[in-house]
Amino acid sequence: MLVRIKYRKTSAGRFMSHLDLLRTIERIFRRAGLPMAFSEGFNPHPKVSFGSALAVGITSDAEYLDVELREEFPLDQLRERLDVAVPSGIEIMEIRQLQTRTRSLTAQINMARYRVYVPLAEKMEASELEQLIQKAMVQPTFIVTRDGKKGKRQVDIKNGIYKLEGRLDEDYIILQIDVQTGSEGNIRPEEVVEMLRKTGDLYLREGLQIHRLGLYVREEAAIKTPLEI
Amino acid sequence: MKDLKSILENEILSRVNKPLRYVGTEYNSVKKEWNKVKLRTLFAFPDLYEIGMSHLGLRILYHLVNEQPQYLMERVFSPWTDMEQALRERDIPLFSLESYRPIAEFDCIGITLQYEMSYTNILNMLDLGKIPLKANERKNEYPLIMGGGPCAYNPEPLADFFDFFVLGEGEEVILEVFETISSHREKHNGRQDKKILLKELAAIKGVYVPSFYKPIYVDGVLIEVQPTKPDVPRRVVKRVVQDLDKAYFPLKPLVPYTEVVHDRIMLEVLRGCTRGCRFCQAGMIYRPVRERSSEVLERQAKELIKATGYNEISLTSLSTSDHSNIKPLLKSMLDKYEQDRIGISLPSLRVDAFSLELAKEVQRVRKTGLTFAPEAGTQRLRDVINKGVTEENLMEVTTAAFEAGWTQIKLYFMIGLPTETFLDLDGIVDLAYKVLHNGMRILREGGRTRQAKITISVSSFVPKANTPFQWEKQDTLEQLKEKQRYIKEKIKDRRINYNYHEAELSILEAVFARGDRRLNELLLKAWEKGCKFDSWSEHFRYNLWLEAFQELNMEPQELANISEEFDRKLPWEHLNMGVTKAYLWQEREKAYQTVATEDCRYQSCTTCGICQDLGVSMVLERK
Repeated sequence: MLVRIKYRKTSAGRFMSHLDLLRTIERIFRRAGLPMAFSEGFNPHPKVSFGSALAVGITSDAEYLDVELREEFPLDQLRERLDVAVPSGIEIMEIRQLQTRTRSLTAQINMARYRVYVPLAEKMEASELEQLIQKAMVQPTFIVTRDGKKGKRQVDIKNGIYKLEGRLDEDYIILQIDVQTGSEGNIRPEEVVEMLRKTGDLYLREGLQIHRLGLYVREEAAIKTPLEI
Repeated sequence: MKDLKSILENEILSRVNKPLRYVGTEYNSVKKEWNKVKLRTLFAFPDLYEIGMSHLGLRILYHLVNEQPQYLMERVFSPWTDMEQALRERDIPLFSLESYRPIAEFDCIGITLQYEMSYTNILNMLDLGKIPLKANERKNEYPLIMGGGPCAYNPEPLADFFDFFVLGEGEEVILEVFETISSHREKHNGRQDKKILLKELAAIKGVYVPSFYKPIYVDGVLIEVQPTKPDVPRRVVKRVVQDLDKAYFPLKPLVPYTEVVHDRIMLEVLRGCTRGCRFCQAGMIYRPVRERSSEVLERQAKELIKATGYNEISLTSLSTSDHSNIKPLLKSMLDKYEQDRIGISLPSLRVDAFSLELAKEVQRVRKTGLTFAPEAGTQRLRDVINKGVTEENLMEVTTAAFEAGWTQIKLYFMIGLPTETFLDLDGIVDLAYKVLHNGMRILREGGRTRQAKITISVSSFVPKANTPFQWEKQDTLEQLKEKQRYIKEKIKDRRINYNYHEAELSILEAVFARGDRRLNELLLKAWEKGCKFDSWSEHFRYNLWLEAFQELNMEPQELANISEEFDRKLPWEHLNMGVTKAYLWQEREKAYQTVATEDCRYQSCTTCGICQDLGVSMVLERK
């Protein structure tokens, strides 16, 4: 049977790399006594596919994976068994059975929503923040430099920022941002913070904290979660 | 000040390499309430997380102690240099993984002594934990520092820094130690009075309190290490588990998130080895051989898979193919777990056809490399070291391996062994070529396209305490380097890959392996100069060690060697690991006469002393 699982990556698990996560998922299923299907070939590996890789250090409320099992299980039993097998870094949120193998999660997901805690070095007024966000968002382009395999390259991130909201909480700005993610292009939340910092005269302290609120399939008509499509 | 946990989580962990090294939230990790236990202990591994977490002993003791409701045990490893820098910059003390607590807050810290070249890391950890290094500088408010593990059989180079050592197999004695400490604390209003407590600890069999003993030197020669208190034993005897089936074994072991060196289930199939290789310390100090029964092993394997989710079981021991029922056991496990893609691995293989059959079985699920250890290049030298392997054995096993599909084989050798000549080095080179050419022929005749490849890994002999070769002279640094070069020049074929270790490290290892209490000063000085992570080539600074030697008027070459007279007291002679000095000496004499000693499992008893003196006996499953 093929299932799609929504899970959280908690504070305890946020330093897992994608490779660590892969290993961990395989162990979770084995502990749960849920036999995963394996690929054919010289070096068989379990049939799991992930949504969008989460960078090390980031927590998340909604990550997704598709997994194929060799046997059928009722969903509530699946849930029960997984709940006892997960380590503290991972929490199972929701499970849905997929009837047929659809397009992969990576091909479908194209938007991520983040909450970012930006530590300020200087005090700021709510009106200043509002103006800053407005000013940043009316720019037609914003170029960032990324380190790629072939050296540095320039990328315009502005078109991939769909939404940017912020409020103040003591000496933090709390941002909520919707950005492009997936195979068409990936915008990192740090880059959005960088855009704000360069647009205004923001002085920041160290200790940026990023939390992913969700991954979505953004179409013209609506924004849906991978469990809704 | 913000609490340590939030500073670490928000400001430090995200800036260091591999932060999971410092986060104790792994599956099956145990977090207990600090105020609800009688004794808070810490297991310290003086190396990186990835190394320490690959150590079975840690898991055994960690889970054994944590299964007792009245104690807790947390973990700490050596922080890598980036983390150390972050801690020192912000003046944050070294902390435990489970509760992010400064290590100085624990009641007792057990430091495992697995290899000599981790000693500088011990001092560095104590210093990072803001704990005074020397035992006599630590007042009652500091944790007791306990040492154990193979190097505890000669702990004299560390005697100043530890309050006590535990000799032998930890699971046999650790609860007695903790019971003594915790009832002492109960009697003393929750505090410790070290003077009294150490006496109480010294009364436990297997516990060695170095401050209760004094080495007596006459004209620079060690006469004896004498007790200075009336009630302590003249010789401290190690502790041994008699029945491995009944011994504690963790069935819900830690499962790291991040990859560690041995990232699999470690199932201990037997303990001890009586093959009797004369250079091998493990072969002497872990006697007698005790097998765990197939029935228990099968049950443990099943539970371990369920509790960990690992996809590989390593059947560990010093020589796994020696288990009486290894073949049926291996077959049964493979049959059971093959469909779940759970593989079995054998970490150590004898050089014989039987072992290769086992290796072939294993390939059903997972392909693995093949490594054999002839140890020496000629039959004469193999007989000297009592490595019961012939060239025919090696050719037979490698032929079968190439025929079965392997194309790469790794061979372990040693240089600098007693009585070695350049003929023996030629022997290493010849063997490597012989195996390679044989492999090339087999692959060619089989019409296979891949090339045969041989790796020879050559280490330098380090005479270790408690072995028949404990009296041997070690080669000088120049001799070892010349031998390494000699082999290098003879290996021209690029299909033979030649590895060797830094000879400087082997010299230092010998210094500490056979050292006495004078080395405490040297160790301290080397650490003060910045030595740490000595076993990591990127951190090993031999020039700093040399400076330390010079400033103390010590000579490495001299310290690396001891007297070759039987009657001279050895620095560790007041510690009894079971095999007698007389037996070791007799084995040494037989080495020089090139006489073999048989394995007592298959021949009569060799009266090494272990079963006679320690009241234990060999346990074999075969009927």
